[in-house]
Amino acid sequence: MSGAPERAAGDHAGDQAGDHPAGAADYARLEDVVQDPLFPEVDLALRRGAHVDVTDPERYALLRDAQRHLEPFYLRYGCQLVQADGFVYLLPSGDRLGRRHLSAGEMLVGQALALLLLDPATLRTQGVVPRTLVVARLAQLVGEERLVLALNPRKRRHDRRVAEQTARRELDRALRSLAALGFVTLVDEERLLLRRPLLRFTEPVRGAGDPVAALERLAREGKLTLDVDAPGAPDRPTLDGDDADAQAPPEAEDARGPPGAGEAQDPDDDDDWGDGEAGS
Amino acid sequence: MDVAEGEPSRAGDEADGLARALAAIERGRVSLALDTTDLCFLVALRARAERAGLASFEEELLVEVFEERLEQLEPGAASPRKRATHAIQRLRDQRLLARVDGAGVVAAGEFALTRLAVGIVDFFLADELLTRESLSLLTKILREQLVACRAAARKAGADEGAWTARVVQPLRVLVGDLLTGIERRQRGLDAQQEEVVAEVERLLREDWFASVTACEELLERTSATLRELHDVLLQDTTHLSLLLQELEALATKARQAAALEAIRAATEHVERVGAWGGARLKTWSGYYQHVHGFLRDVVRLDPERALSQRLRDRIAGFLDLPFGLFVAAEPSIRLLREELRPVARPPVARPRADRGLVLEEVAPADDPDDVLAARARAALDAGAASLSQVLARVLPAVPAPARYRAAGRVAGVVADAAGRRLDGATPRVRPWVEVPGDLLVEEWTLAPAPPRPEASP
Repeated sequence: MSGAPERAAGDHAGDQAGDHPAGAADYARLEDVVQDPLFPEVDLALRRGAHVDVTDPERYALLRDAQRHLEPFYLRYGCQLVQADGFVYLLPSGDRLGRRHLSAGEMLVGQALALLLLDPATLRTQGVVPRTLVVARLAQLVGEERLVLALNPRKRRHDRRVAEQTARRELDRALRSLAALGFVTLVDEERLLLRRPLLRFTEPVRGAGDPVAALERLAREGKLTLDVDAPGAPDRPTLDGDDADAQAPPEAEDARGPPGAGEAQDPDDDDDWGDGEAGS
Repeated sequence: MDVAEGEPSRAGDEADGLARALAAIERGRVSLALDTTDLCFLVALRARAERAGLASFEEELLVEVFEERLEQLEPGAASPRKRATHAIQRLRDQRLLARVDGAGVVAAGEFALTRLAVGIVDFFLADELLTRESLSLLTKILREQLVACRAAARKAGADEGAWTARVVQPLRVLVGDLLTGIERRQRGLDAQQEEVVAEVERLLREDWFASVTACEELLERTSATLRELHDVLLQDTTHLSLLLQELEALATKARQAAALEAIRAATEHVERVGAWGGARLKTWSGYYQHVHGFLRDVVRLDPERALSQRLRDRIAGFLDLPFGLFVAAEPSIRLLREELRPVARPPVARPRADRGLVLEEVAPADDPDDVLAARARAALDAGAASLSQVLARVLPAVPAPARYRAAGRVAGVVADAAGRRLDGATPRVRPWVEVPGDLLVEEWTLAPAPPRPEASP
């Protein structure tokens, strides 16, 4: 059995453009990749949904250098190793490896973060933004009341103060989850670093065509699901005793079936709103 | 002169000076209040002085400069002369203008900008930039100055006056000023970098895709300048540090505390100037990479800059048409425990007592001391004539670790059982004899045992 290729220190540090490793390791066979000391860590991270980008030069370089071996390797598990825009992630399409879709809270926060990533104003701070800016941007785009309702899916009648607290908790949870998936890095209690994988949230709007058609195409490609509850939709409950109970449909999670085989729940979620497989 | 003595007193002097300055500011309720007109007035005065080579201003000139500024800021403003008089008075009250003619009210005054005013104006005027040429020139003069100081220090020996005049003062004034000059230009370059950062942002906001080339050129130019300056600084500050080390060695040898103090201050200054290049290059490198990533992945991806707007619309409509991106979520491997046969534990219960139990009488075990005493007595009965003979018969049967203790016990038995037979003719100092078990005992010689009385029939 041959050993993994020699990996000199700094070999995988990005060059000045930050995209290509300076000294690519030569993996002749899949066995060489698997023998790399870094492989188990990278493999586990990918299977848990992590996105690896150029700011993690060693892991990213391993994936780039071993791409031709790893793509067919993961294909045997029914997964696609997607490499685009300076980051890599695993996209399961069958039921051999578990998968989940991001919750509505995670999607809202992720899209707001992607919007900040596209803003030249964040260049000055090299992508470090305060958390409050994310919330402010979301509230501005979605509307504060709708945002609070969207993040309080279970309650039929809300106390505003409690609802706002719950919404803040949901946003924090979404940020932690996105950080675990490699979309952002939590710098400290107040600030976070935007990372390139956030560009995944722009996929549905990259073309100039009909956005619904784009979503349907991506759903057919297995990149996303449209079968998600519509939190904060007009027939959802409203704040402070607005008479919505009469119109409110049964709680969405009650109507939804159990998660499919081979699919995982978000371990961070103590309620099952928006999580788990909703059909693919 | 003691080299180490000066340091604590100097620190104490500095603390006293700071306390005095703070107390004076507090006591005098010192404050500054300058509006835009005042600031423009000061800057214009400084510019006029530099252009015309003036050391001071006549009152009429002050009024003229003020009126010019006012006309530009507030065209058609009423009572410009009166406002000029008030402005001059405000600046005098705040010690930004000083009357230098000393004529009082008898004549029109002659005024000069104070050090405070010059400092404020300098803040607003663009600093000179550090360039490869200016840096090389400054460090060259600095090196020549330090070489001269080193030569003077070698000649000065222990002459304190020579040290002060030719080493300490040049170090404090000339070297200090040259290093400050480099630092001032460094600050200028820092400010220019800030402007580059703002310019990149502005270009992207205004021209988006069309600005890519301009942004890249800006970044490259600044990077090249910083790299060049860093290299020059690295090389020159090494030479300067070596010269300062030589000077320090000479001052230490000559025990010149003031010179050492000046050399250390200059060394710190040189190190600070040198560290600037590395720090700025590192910071700039991070920014450079980030902006390049942005240009490549965001701007080139979205040349029409429609992506942001479409994403904004998508977020606004998300709650009406929600979707969720798929991510892998393979749980951790489940490790099953090894299968174990369940252990049948009997219930905890007290054993049943047989209350009809008959107790059995058991003889106690033999006491080892009694056994030993019996053996000793047997040896005496067998005719042992001394303590050593008794021990020689008894000890071999005793385990080695217990022989010492056993010897004591046997001696006790011999004393009890045969005390009457102790030989009265034994010398006062008894001999020491060896017995089994590597022991030495004081020999007791026993008289022959008396004949046993015949048993009566």
